[in-house]
Amino acid sequence: MTSSMMRWAGFLPLGVLWILPLLLGLWASFVAALDGAGWVSLFSHPQFWPALKLSLVTGTLSLVISAIIAFLIVAALYQSVAWQRLQGLMGGFLALPHLAFAVGFGFLIMPSGLLARMTGLVMGWADPPQWITTQDPYGMSLVAALVLKEAPFLIWLIASLLGRTDFAQMLQGHWRIGQSLGHGNASIWLTLFIPQILLRLKWPLLVVWVYGASVVDMALVIGPTQPPTLAVIIWSDLNNVDLAINDRGTAGAWFLTATLAVIAVAVHGVLTFATTLFKSFYARGPGHGHISSTTGLALLIGLAAIYGLVLLVFGIMSIGALWPYPSLVPTQFRFAAWEQAISSPQPLLNSLSFAVAASIAALAMAIVWLETMAEKRDRYLLVLAVAALALPALLIADGQYLAFLQVGLTGHWSGVFLAHLTPVFAYVFVVLKGPYRAFDPRYRSVSLGLNTSALRFLFAVKFPLMKLVLASTLAIGIGVGIAQYVSVQLVSSGRIPTLTIEAVTLASGGNRQLLAVYSLTLALVPLIAFIAAARLGRRLP
Amino acid sequence: MTISRRVLLRATIAAGFLPLAPNMGFAADWAALTAEAKGQTVYFNAWAGSETINAYIAWAGEQVKARYGVTLEHVKITDAAEVVRRVRDEVKAGKSEGSVDLVWINGENFRAMKTDKLLFGPFATELPNFKFVDTVGKPTTLNDFAEPTDGLESPWGMAQLTFFGDGAKISSPPMSMIGLIEFAKTNPGRVSYPAPPDFHGTTFVKQALIETIAGGSQLSRPATKEQFEAVSAPTFALLDNLRPHLWRKGEQYPQSQAQLKQMLADGELLMALTFNPNEPANLVASKEVPATTVAWQHTAGTVGNTHFVAIPINSKSSAGAQMVADFLLSPEAQARKADLKTWGDPTVLALSKLSADETKLFEGGEVAGSVKSPAPAIPEPHGSWVPLIEAAWLEHYGK
Repeated sequence: MTSSMMRWAGFLPLGVLWILPLLLGLWASFVAALDGAGWVSLFSHPQFWPALKLSLVTGTLSLVISAIIAFLIVAALYQSVAWQRLQGLMGGFLALPHLAFAVGFGFLIMPSGLLARMTGLVMGWADPPQWITTQDPYGMSLVAALVLKEAPFLIWLIASLLGRTDFAQMLQGHWRIGQSLGHGNASIWLTLFIPQILLRLKWPLLVVWVYGASVVDMALVIGPTQPPTLAVIIWSDLNNVDLAINDRGTAGAWFLTATLAVIAVAVHGVLTFATTLFKSFYARGPGHGHISSTTGLALLIGLAAIYGLVLLVFGIMSIGALWPYPSLVPTQFRFAAWEQAISSPQPLLNSLSFAVAASIAALAMAIVWLETMAEKRDRYLLVLAVAALALPALLIADGQYLAFLQVGLTGHWSGVFLAHLTPVFAYVFVVLKGPYRAFDPRYRSVSLGLNTSALRFLFAVKFPLMKLVLASTLAIGIGVGIAQYVSVQLVSSGRIPTLTIEAVTLASGGNRQLLAVYSLTLALVPLIAFIAAARLGRRLP
Repeated sequence: MTISRRVLLRATIAAGFLPLAPNMGFAADWAALTAEAKGQTVYFNAWAGSETINAYIAWAGEQVKARYGVTLEHVKITDAAEVVRRVRDEVKAGKSEGSVDLVWINGENFRAMKTDKLLFGPFATELPNFKFVDTVGKPTTLNDFAEPTDGLESPWGMAQLTFFGDGAKISSPPMSMIGLIEFAKTNPGRVSYPAPPDFHGTTFVKQALIETIAGGSQLSRPATKEQFEAVSAPTFALLDNLRPHLWRKGEQYPQSQAQLKQMLADGELLMALTFNPNEPANLVASKEVPATTVAWQHTAGTVGNTHFVAIPINSKSSAGAQMVADFLLSPEAQARKADLKTWGDPTVLALSKLSADETKLFEGGEVAGSVKSPAPAIPEPHGSWVPLIEAAWLEHYGK
């Protein structure tokens, strides 16, 4: 077989299992968006412009603040003892589903939440204060929740990049030169590290921004309501039974996605142009600014404390039926939610199988692509991946459902598997691309010099060296896969119950206790995967 | 072998034609239908946000298995609109063997399925147990949001807008919208309602409309935008008066009834609302609200409706689905459903039509959290009022 034949043979599964179903999903919704009436009613929606502004502001602020926090922590702890454990710790943070985190964090800050209860104890309040914390009109509580969820993701990504890669080697060199020239660590990070890391992480950063601007579940729990973010309006329109309102939702989804795309391209252009302007900044003499590891540790402990409190709250919530203000513990307990979750393990097993299978398939396909395709082609796949993550799941799932109906994939495990694969591969590829492409090529030259076959090199050298990244990417895939609701609901035709379907349908009744139980169970699976990844990664080959 | 109606039906769907209300007596030959149903699996798509309801559906499954040999699978959903979408897609794709055999439905979802000819039937009025339905006392069993059911859906339970709160904190609950304004003035920031288009929020605005409109009979007929603007002026004047005293001064609203309920339980609000008059009692039973909880309805009456089960046109187990629909109407099933210990959903049957023994099944004692003095149920306005209400609310309070 020629190498080009091999390349296309490797591409085939990706094309059939991921690209084709995704395009089918996009196509149906694209056709629906061509309807003019939807656009007219979108622009005449009284909340359209303020909602769009809210979406852009929450997305942008959450990206900027989480990036600042992530870089502060990473810069302060780089080359310290804590560094080794940082990635594993972040995995633990990533395991908690976004929605669960929003509910738990909301319970910390809302007017009847933990903070208000503790204040109330001191002040002697009998009723909750009328604070405007959760659902504030500016979306700041949503931004806070997003920042707390995304900062660990960014730290994890940066740590992956600074793992066993040629990029890391290069930075090591820069580090030594910078130090010998008298730069403080803040100065080295600001002038040397951050610009290069940002360049390598631009796609994941784009995903974080897009996520913040288009998230629905977190915005419903903690976001503003009048007006809500545009994503919430779109979600509500797409769920409406009225086809005309569906069309407005479809138009809104494409409008939001296109707006994000235009802004992203513009920002990218400006930054490329601006690097020439930054040159003078880089060329100035050494700065002595120093971020102490204490700063980093303090931030990290703060982050860990919030996650710890959220988990604690969830644990208590899961057995507390009634937990009224100002009591610090529930006044009535009930264990029915746990009993129910434990009594029917089938949905959990289904969820687990789909999430694990989709993640393994996604990882394998991503590796095949990265090994066989030239780096400049990555961008085609990345654009598709970001589109898959930016457009509402319902839109893609509905298009897929229509297509899958024709070929008899609905109500069947194979269709459900493909529906899982759509978002899982998108995340896996975006996350893996950076560190994988940055792998030190000298290893390959050396082993090829020793006459090792390419395949043997992968399994004996490259994969073992990259196992922390590979295993954590798998864990991220599992976390994404296990949280799928809309696509599974549609494509499975209700034939295949999963844990997420149980959780989401039960949560529609508003029982916080059940939500806590299922969130903890849902978090457990990726958590185990992350712990395994971290343990695996620490053992050197 | 003769060609069954179902095969014909499938053929018409496959050919892209939908039958024009074929009234051929679907449930006429009940014995034959029972035979056909045996061994069928019925996928019942029903909202699954309540443990008690899920447990009731599981019980109904055991019963129909034993009685008719029908397997009932509860497909858990969050919103019937999901099912409308699924059936619509299937019919669009020409799929004659659909994934849904029975759906819990009412209101706009029913209207959408009826308008798009996505429903099997008529079958409902020919179910053996339909004769017990209180079509006179509960006219909404035949008119779903003022839309005639035409036998395309079978009544299952009754709903009525009900308010509830902690009796330890509320001495005299507001018994009208005007009373609610006074209540909110005395307790600023402690009252709210879900923002429309959430269904409970829209219902709250409907209640305000009913209490302010002159000539309520027009509500049962289709509305125009001009007509709506003219008659709803006093409604929005009332809501304007209420607004400054609401939670967050009426600038933000809870997203859903579920959130409203949680805010009541947390102590952030003094009262919440529900469409199931027995939900407060259920919540007391599951310890989610205090035992001192009280429930009430506005004295002059509150919006009430009926919820139904319907069979999509492409169901491959329509015989089995009719068995289930009939069983759900049986005095035994209705009594168990009305029992506060199992679910507490009010019956659609007329107790006067039942035997003495059957009536006895419905005798439940009063429990904590049940409505003390039930008020009359006022039928839902015609469905065409809903988009007008939602749009006007958004214009007034959405910015």
